[in-house]
Amino acid sequence: MDTLTRRKFIQMTGAGAIAAAAHTLSIEEIANAAISRPLPLGTPILVVVTLYGGNDGLNTVVPYQDSVYQSLRPQLAYKESQVLPIGEGLALNGAMSGFKSLWDMNQLAIVRGVGYPNSDRSHFSSMAIWQSASLTASNTGWLGRWVETQKEDPLLAIGLGSVLPPLLAGNRRSGSVLPLGGLKVPTGSLASDCAKLSMNSPSDDRLTAMAARTMRNLFEVSAEVTPILKDPAPPANDLPTVVGGNAGGDSNLSAQLEIVAKLIAAGSPTRVWSVSLGGFDTHADENTAQSALLGAVSGSISKFMSQMRSTNRSKDVTVLVYSEFGRRVRANASQGTDHGTSGPVFLLGERVKGGFYGEQPSLQKLKDDDLAVTTDFRDIYAVLLEKVLITSKERVLGKWGSRLELIN
Amino acid sequence: MATVSIEERRNLARLSHRIGFGPKPGEFEELLSLGFYRSAERALAQAESASPDLAASLGLKDLGNQPRPNSPEIVDYVEQKRFQLRTMTLWWLDEMVTQENPITERMTWFWHGHWATSYAKVDEPIVMFNHVDSLRKSALGNFRDMAKAMVLDGALIYWLDGQKNTSAAPNENLSRELMELFILGVNRYTEDDVKQTAKALTGYKVVKSSGLVSRNLRQSFTGDISYLGTSGKFDAISLTDFLVNRRDCQRFIPERLWYRFINSSSDLPNNSAIENAFADRNILSSVQALVAHPGFIDPVNTQVKSPLDWLISVLRALEITPSQFERPDYLINLLNGLGQRPYFPPNVGGWPADEAWLSAASTQTRLAAADYLAKKGQLAPISNLSAAARLEGLANWLGVASWSERTRQALNGAIRDPQRLAVLGICSPEYLVNA
Repeated sequence: MDTLTRRKFIQMTGAGAIAAAAHTLSIEEIANAAISRPLPLGTPILVVVTLYGGNDGLNTVVPYQDSVYQSLRPQLAYKESQVLPIGEGLALNGAMSGFKSLWDMNQLAIVRGVGYPNSDRSHFSSMAIWQSASLTASNTGWLGRWVETQKEDPLLAIGLGSVLPPLLAGNRRSGSVLPLGGLKVPTGSLASDCAKLSMNSPSDDRLTAMAARTMRNLFEVSAEVTPILKDPAPPANDLPTVVGGNAGGDSNLSAQLEIVAKLIAAGSPTRVWSVSLGGFDTHADENTAQSALLGAVSGSISKFMSQMRSTNRSKDVTVLVYSEFGRRVRANASQGTDHGTSGPVFLLGERVKGGFYGEQPSLQKLKDDDLAVTTDFRDIYAVLLEKVLITSKERVLGKWGSRLELIN
Repeated sequence: MATVSIEERRNLARLSHRIGFGPKPGEFEELLSLGFYRSAERALAQAESASPDLAASLGLKDLGNQPRPNSPEIVDYVEQKRFQLRTMTLWWLDEMVTQENPITERMTWFWHGHWATSYAKVDEPIVMFNHVDSLRKSALGNFRDMAKAMVLDGALIYWLDGQKNTSAAPNENLSRELMELFILGVNRYTEDDVKQTAKALTGYKVVKSSGLVSRNLRQSFTGDISYLGTSGKFDAISLTDFLVNRRDCQRFIPERLWYRFINSSSDLPNNSAIENAFADRNILSSVQALVAHPGFIDPVNTQVKSPLDWLISVLRALEITPSQFERPDYLINLLNGLGQRPYFPPNVGGWPADEAWLSAASTQTRLAAADYLAKKGQLAPISNLSAAARLEGLANWLGVASWSERTRQALNGAIRDPQRLAVLGICSPEYLVNA
């Protein structure tokens, strides 16, 4: 399982299979739209961060004072000196200092024990359930269904990466994908050649003219948006200058969020962004790997929030962080943990009412050696749909009655 | 060589790119000397049929049930799956690139887009491969045989939830698409026909890992059904037979041929020879009539090359065999990035056409790919020529009818640099759009 990459997950989850095809965007197209029809200030924006692989919740929001925690995973359990206490006997993983600052600013909500009935321990099935918001893992993603409630706009919901994340897949319309890196407007002699190659020609038929125009647009649009793309991302003024990244653990999550920050700051007419980080399937030697990953999550998201504060959209942005399941309480024989059930979900932003939500699953009352589910994940989706995406929850979740009141 | 008219060059360029996958070095010059009629005859001559059990010869096999998550066996299982999918993808790309006369693969590709079934749900390499190989076996044969094979094909049934269709809980997914997308065309049946025909398709079960199809009689509807003016007892085969016999089928398949090979935005003319040639559901006859149809050479019927068409024609020109390439996975990822990876149609409607393939993102991707591939391919067909002969040489090498004045100017700027010339040629509007 460790050899599975996030990308394979997405493909093997299969939720995108019967969905509408994704439109592939270029950064120039988005930046151009940001100039010509910017998102009105004050429009709420949702940023979804998916952690692939099943993040170990107990070593993320750590019940460090619980003796059962210490005894069931003696070599994995953190001591008080290694973690960042946040009350109620819980602490954030020591690598999550960025999240701790946001907690102290009352901008971080932690929902405990999140999952769904009859947990499925397959990455694929469980991720399909989370991303479709359906226990039978329907073919459409919850945000793909939201896209279908809105006026058609390929820029409305964007997933970063080369493959459409299942959560953005709709029946007739889906979110779009923005491939990361690799796509650069040619420069130098190739650029000047292409400029000539793409000029108007009176002999062109309709489709040939369109092919030429598409190439021409690439360069014209690019000249217009270069300032946006070349400019540094919005500054993170209120963060101390930190030495970059965690050794080896810093993946492209920070790069993804950097692009999202630039495009939000520029006014992209996008209301949902999806980014992701893989590698949480820590069956062996968990602590080093997981704390590097959590450091990347915490560091890049808190930097992103700080960048938002230097724009006029910081009140608009809400971030959701989740994984497909938590892990077993008891460690396995290789200093790792196997697939489990519930885990914590994070919500961040200025409109988020900071604090704890949901009951911490009791380690005294394990069910088949696993944590109980104390909050259904759809309670979180429901409030995000209604308070951030301003859409009645029934239109996306069907008959779902409750929601967690964690957003102002 | 006698001067060939621009019209003749355009007709041959259409033949080469639409009925084949573009010329190999020297091939377009051959077509020019043969002329359209003999070239068409040659292009439509079928190669001898491939080995009867291709899957086995490629080492594809039933991988059994997926091991439990967390089990030690799952890593090997997933790796084998990945390896087999890669093998069968590169094999197919190789066939398209290397065959002298790729008509069978061209038509297999057409039918793959028609019976659009995706590995993303089928998730079993051998089942997906056998699905496409079944299409290959009747790619130019009789549509009736093909349709009967498809309605009992494990991948197609699984893809459209046919295995969930029981007399107690009918699932209409397969029966609807059978009529709408595969055999008759939209609105040539009623909603009630969908419900009724779904009953004839109940009880079919698929073994996911092997694609083996059987019928569970206890879950099958065995009473009479009434649809499209008939009634009686029907199963998948007799239903398919009946649908293929419908006059609408004789119109629908030629419509799809017209859409893919001639024009995606105009309708198949009424009473065309293409439709008449399909009277006995013979695919080859219909394709022959299509190539002979005035529409095939009508200048208005230009077409954007789809990403696969574009890449295969580039690889044929550059003499790059996908499986022998330094980074075979680059080619698969490239097709995926451009939105047209074999075995992964986006939905049951198949891939889009024309304008849909022209976006800023795909232009960027094609430019980067052209830049890389031109460094790796054989440039002899132009580098061996004097600078003065290179413009025409490039057009013949790539199978382009003619360069516009605009493109000539751009190419002239790179005339001493064969590699740059190749990049511009394969990214030119005249190459991306088959005039």
